[in-house]
Amino acid sequence: MRVVRFVLFRLSVALLTLFGVSIIVFAAIRFVPGGFEDVVLGPFGTPETREAVRAKYGLDRPHLEQYVLWLGATTKGDFGTSLTTGQPVAAEIIRRAPATIQLALMSTLLAIVVGVPLGVASGVTSTNRVARAAGRLVGALGASVPTFVLGTVFVFVFSVWSLGVTVGGYVPFFEDPLANIRAMTLPVVTLSVFGMALIQRTTRDSVLNVTSETHITAAVARGERPPDIIRGHVLRNASIPIVTVTTVFLAYLLGGAVIVEQMYSVPGIAVYVVQSVENRDYLVVQAGVLLAATFFVSINILADAIYALIDPRIGGQRRDS
Amino acid sequence: MTLLVRGPLSELLDFVRRDRLSGAGAILLATLVLLCLFGPWLPLGDPEEIGIGPRLSVPASGWLLGTDELGRSVLPRIVDGLRSTFLLAGTAVVLTGLFGTLIGLVAAYAGGFVDMTIMRLVDILFAFPPLLLGILIAAALGPGGTSAILAIALITLPLFVRVVRAVALSVAARSYVIAAEVSGAGFLRVILVHLLPNVLGAVIIQLTYALSIGMLVESELSFLGLGVQPPDASLGSLLRLGSVYLTIAPWLVFPAGLLLATAILSVNLLGDGLRDMIDPLRGRPLR
Amino acid sequence: MSSLLDVRDLVVVYNTPRGTVLALDGVSVGLNAGETLGIVGESGSGKSTLGLAIGRLMPQNAYRLSGDLVVNGHSVFKGDDENLRILRRDALGFIFQNPMAALDPTMRVGRQLTRAVGRRAAPEKVFSLLSSVGLTETERVFHSFPHELSGGMAQRVAIAIAIARRPQLIVADEPTASLDAWLRDQVLELLLSMCRATGAALVLLSHDLHMVSRHCRHVAVMYGGRIVEYGERETVFHRQAHPYTRALLRAAPGAEGPHGRLNPIRGVPPILMERSTCCAFASRCDWAVNQCLDERPEARWLDERSVICHRAETLLAGASGT
Repeated sequence: MRVVRFVLFRLSVALLTLFGVSIIVFAAIRFVPGGFEDVVLGPFGTPETREAVRAKYGLDRPHLEQYVLWLGATTKGDFGTSLTTGQPVAAEIIRRAPATIQLALMSTLLAIVVGVPLGVASGVTSTNRVARAAGRLVGALGASVPTFVLGTVFVFVFSVWSLGVTVGGYVPFFEDPLANIRAMTLPVVTLSVFGMALIQRTTRDSVLNVTSETHITAAVARGERPPDIIRGHVLRNASIPIVTVTTVFLAYLLGGAVIVEQMYSVPGIAVYVVQSVENRDYLVVQAGVLLAATFFVSINILADAIYALIDPRIGGQRRDS
Repeated sequence: MTLLVRGPLSELLDFVRRDRLSGAGAILLATLVLLCLFGPWLPLGDPEEIGIGPRLSVPASGWLLGTDELGRSVLPRIVDGLRSTFLLAGTAVVLTGLFGTLIGLVAAYAGGFVDMTIMRLVDILFAFPPLLLGILIAAALGPGGTSAILAIALITLPLFVRVVRAVALSVAARSYVIAAEVSGAGFLRVILVHLLPNVLGAVIIQLTYALSIGMLVESELSFLGLGVQPPDASLGSLLRLGSVYLTIAPWLVFPAGLLLATAILSVNLLGDGLRDMIDPLRGRPLR
Repeated sequence: MSSLLDVRDLVVVYNTPRGTVLALDGVSVGLNAGETLGIVGESGSGKSTLGLAIGRLMPQNAYRLSGDLVVNGHSVFKGDDENLRILRRDALGFIFQNPMAALDPTMRVGRQLTRAVGRRAAPEKVFSLLSSVGLTETERVFHSFPHELSGGMAQRVAIAIAIARRPQLIVADEPTASLDAWLRDQVLELLLSMCRATGAALVLLSHDLHMVSRHCRHVAVMYGGRIVEYGERETVFHRQAHPYTRALLRAAPGAEGPHGRLNPIRGVPPILMERSTCCAFASRCDWAVNQCLDERPEARWLDERSVICHRAETLLAGASGT
């Protein structure tokens, strides 16, 4: 079938991509200045202890062999042992996963729910000068305020007036859903503002592109109602760029989560990875980046499948965006 | 910008008049860049001088935006910080603009295996979530300005390569390019003389977007302590240090945040306007 | 017979970055119920703008400076949006040049037709429409996406959509230009027979004067945003009073005679920034005299047709002399 064949093709490209990603991640960590053994031993390593560490981690073997061993272990879910806690990295990450997944899901949903209607509204009202300017200004503003600036404003405001939400104080959802939502509201809003703007801008442009096509003129000529034209003909035709930009936002979100988790003390994966940079706990950084890239590549395959479902003309060939 | 405007000044004035929002962005950006360039000669005060006023003092006549925890005046410090942000992001984006355009042109024109290899490599780069690529680089090379520049350059590279390649592909099929090939023009000549001028518009649009992304990434890395290192400071690192005193000295944080957001906004507005000029989008009313 | 379409001195301009461009420079024309009118002109003559103006469908940057266009007693420019929508839905049908572009690429043909017929249309009604436009595999077409159809089939679907609510007036802009040559007559015949069967009037826009005069009772020739010659087809086709009409006929392939050469019209059509103060065709005209450059010609009734030319008498005299 068309969709399946298309997705299979994209899947093979994605595997190739992931292979490249793994080489870069492996190399970036293996060749840190001072070498891996310095990281483990700190500045007090003697030649003998250094040699011992090299042997223990297999650093004395050829690079290719090291890579193959590492990749083999990684695909089985073994990311090694954290140098700071001595726990398996995989376990540390799984423990922190729920908070980050919740953050990502809720932020994406909020960004879509707010961004798409705003974008459609500014797209179909663009013949009005004031509405056009307002739509552009709102989109540009949202895309221009860095997450940490917005977060700082929120922290300041909501530390003074609580208004029903809490700054920090994360509780797992299944322990106390209400407290969880109160703690997650600010992180989610902070993170999704950029996504709202991104989606609003793309939706607007895409709607403008679609409404300039002949089949929309034809729909107007048939006397269809404007809301029917939007629902029936504009939305679906405009949605491919919206799906694309949502994946772009998801990639951004994986990074933005670092900042938000840190600001609001959400114990997630992202902040753990950054702390590991400071602690020079490289295996954690390696695992984190690799997981994020894998997630992003998988999201892109999902997006490809959605493209093919949206547009019956897609299949086999690469999209050009 | 003069590359795409005929009769530069009059067209520029026309642009500002016709599209007020983007015009305002352009003027704002120019003002901020001038402020950074001439900041050291303006009577703002010395950004490095410790104890110019009391520690964490509210804004007063000698220190218009207050003082930090070492009694340094905040105003010259954030102007300095904005300059670092512009410089780091600007350097990175100019680098990527150059290399990305060239790589995109080569991919489009060479086609076949070269094209496929380049695009797969770009796919790999694109698979890294932006900030995490920066974090990986900061981890590998150590945090600092150079890492930040490299990170921004690598993050924005796929943008240029993909867009330039797509535009160049559509141009390469046109008759005059084929005519030039038939009449014996070399690889380099076709790329530089026939393809480059046609992708410039798209490149300029991408430059503004890449600059805004670059400024975001730079300030986020610096905010996380992975960008510029003390004694240097960018707006992100100023916010990082200032947020410790958020409730007792908000002037350490909000002017810097506002300046950063304004600077990025001016770049985005300008970019929107340029795109509107080069590639106008016109929808139709549904009534 | 009451007038179905009445265009009165309509002036329409486009706002462009380089200034305003005049697309219609005072067009007046009418059409009675059930009649056929062919409008002929080069691209840029204003004929497509006139076609779109009949449903007030021009793009966003076009607007009416003066004049009016009345369909069935309702002004399309002065009424409110809802009345215009009802008018478009029930009284007008449009057929565009490229049928593939005029169909929504992401919606199955059957659903598009159903929407055109009416919200609660029975599938049988849609199927009978499909077979009435000469489509055989109605079941397959019904479930197809537009890109799965051939150009000819897509234009048949477009015709079915246009006649779905039995409009009184159909506007077809170059309906066969994007089709293969051997299909053109077939599709055009279908369009005309559907108009006859439903009693709809037809405005056919084309660059091909021969084709138009074969199928339409009235012919209007457009140049520079004006109708330079208008009358019944025999009059206009056989006794041209305007040099442009004559040039159009001579420039058409097939008019050159054995071993003859094509006679292209020299020069290019004008882009008008404002109402012309002279004859817009003067610079390309073999018959032009000083008066043509000094004075704007106005429409006159001459020998059973309306013509806009200072030299029309001379032309007619010369033609009857040979």
